[in-house]
Amino acid sequence: MKLKLLFTRLLTVFLVAASSAIFAAEVSEEVKVSEKTVEKEEALTAIEYLQLMQKSYKDLNYEILYLNSLENQVEPKQLIHGVVDDQEIAYFRFLNGAMRESLQYAGKISYFEQGTQAYTLESTLNRSVFSNIANFDYVKGQDSYEYIILGKGRIAGKQAIAIRMLSKDEYRYSYIIWLDVDSYLPLRLDTLNKSNLILDQVMVVSLLISEKVNPWLEKLSKQQLPQLLNLPRASQQEASQWKVNWLPTGFNVIRNDQHKLVMHENEPVSYIMLNDGIVSVSVYISAKKIALDEKQKIIQRGATVLYTYQTGDIEINIVGEIPIVTAKRLVESIAKVE
Amino acid sequence: MKENNEQLSALVDNEIVDYEVFDMQLLDELITNQQQQKQFSRYHLIGDVMRGDVSDQFLNIDISQQVMAKINKQTPSAQVSELDTAVNKTGTKEGANIVSFAKRFSQYAIAASVAGVVVLTSLVTSQPGVENGSQGLEVLNTVPFGGAVSPVSLQATHMQSKQVIKERNERLDALLKDHQLQLQIQP
Repeated sequence: MKLKLLFTRLLTVFLVAASSAIFAAEVSEEVKVSEKTVEKEEALTAIEYLQLMQKSYKDLNYEILYLNSLENQVEPKQLIHGVVDDQEIAYFRFLNGAMRESLQYAGKISYFEQGTQAYTLESTLNRSVFSNIANFDYVKGQDSYEYIILGKGRIAGKQAIAIRMLSKDEYRYSYIIWLDVDSYLPLRLDTLNKSNLILDQVMVVSLLISEKVNPWLEKLSKQQLPQLLNLPRASQQEASQWKVNWLPTGFNVIRNDQHKLVMHENEPVSYIMLNDGIVSVSVYISAKKIALDEKQKIIQRGATVLYTYQTGDIEINIVGEIPIVTAKRLVESIAKVE
Repeated sequence: MKENNEQLSALVDNEIVDYEVFDMQLLDELITNQQQQKQFSRYHLIGDVMRGDVSDQFLNIDISQQVMAKINKQTPSAQVSELDTAVNKTGTKEGANIVSFAKRFSQYAIAASVAGVVVLTSLVTSQPGVENGSQGLEVLNTVPFGGAVSPVSLQATHMQSKQVIKERNERLDALLKDHQLQLQIQP
């Protein structure tokens, strides 16, 4: 910070010197402007921090090692990000256990896993670890969240600032985002429920930023990708015969179709996907196959909830990172399209 | 016919040296005759394959669709009819597409975030959840980490047999995986 001040002072002196040669009146104006920018830099608002984070996450060359904690399990992972030919490239892998890697570049994402055939999907959305907060529209998000600067701390050896995304109602989780004060890169993300219990946590343990793109990434960008899979879009032309009459603030229906559960006897389901920029929620409506003793059932793991509700010969399942109350209210609002 | 094919092949390979000799009729025929057109494109394909110009995708899809179409002819899908309330009939060809996709689909992508969920499911119940507050709801609500309490008591509901529970778990597992799959193929 001191350095920065010194620098701005030097700059001011320079400006004064430069413009005094021309107009004395202009000089004082220039000084005022530079003083203003100093003030601004010292007191960024929460939303400005978050927007700087988004930019850094896209534009910088960096490598992070991070831990993903979920219910007593800690999974170490690695992300290398860079920009090659003005395009983002991201290489991701699990560090423990079987080799599991992915590479996202130029509108495609490839998955590699030990023992199975690698494949590529078309994908323009960033899929890496902090992508949900890095892609979020924070201005629009003010309808559903408040952004509050909590304070400073230290993460992965870096000065960090904590910002809370506090949900304005009980229908979504809240988040605490820690950013590196120098680079604005995200260092930690906690998902919290209403009673401030941490449901899910991603924590960076090592962050390396480099001027140039990692040579390994440059090499990867030229590699031939595995076979591109065409998505089973054909079956999605028909909309489901169901609609959701209530949506939490900020959520939109982004998919509405009928498809089959390929992992389970090709069972046909009606499907609706909701999204609020941070989380995606799947709604499945199908025939009741196995009757439950009770009408509804809740399974929760970390932030993910699976809520099952049976009525008549219909079964509704909701999957996503939302509180149970939201799932329940969604189910109540589901109706058949007349 | 055979002779024509030979000439076609030569045409494709740019091996016709003497255009005077080359029968202009062949070209006329090519324009009108479907059989010949097919043969023509096949020669081109062969040439492309030999030169390595063809993407695998093109070839694979061609074959898989044919194979799947045959399979589908043999086994008319039975499960569609029993579900007219929730889901309309889905064409068999589309199904074929999905099957081939699912086979390719690696477990890792889906397993990453949901693995282990189902192991814990259904069998496990606890007191009515704090969060939902309503009575009689089964909630599995364990503390994520930090070693705090995990109210995981085994209380399988008496009415359900093991088989039913197993089936149910498989289905929930499929739902979770499908959720991940849909996330992945989200445009």
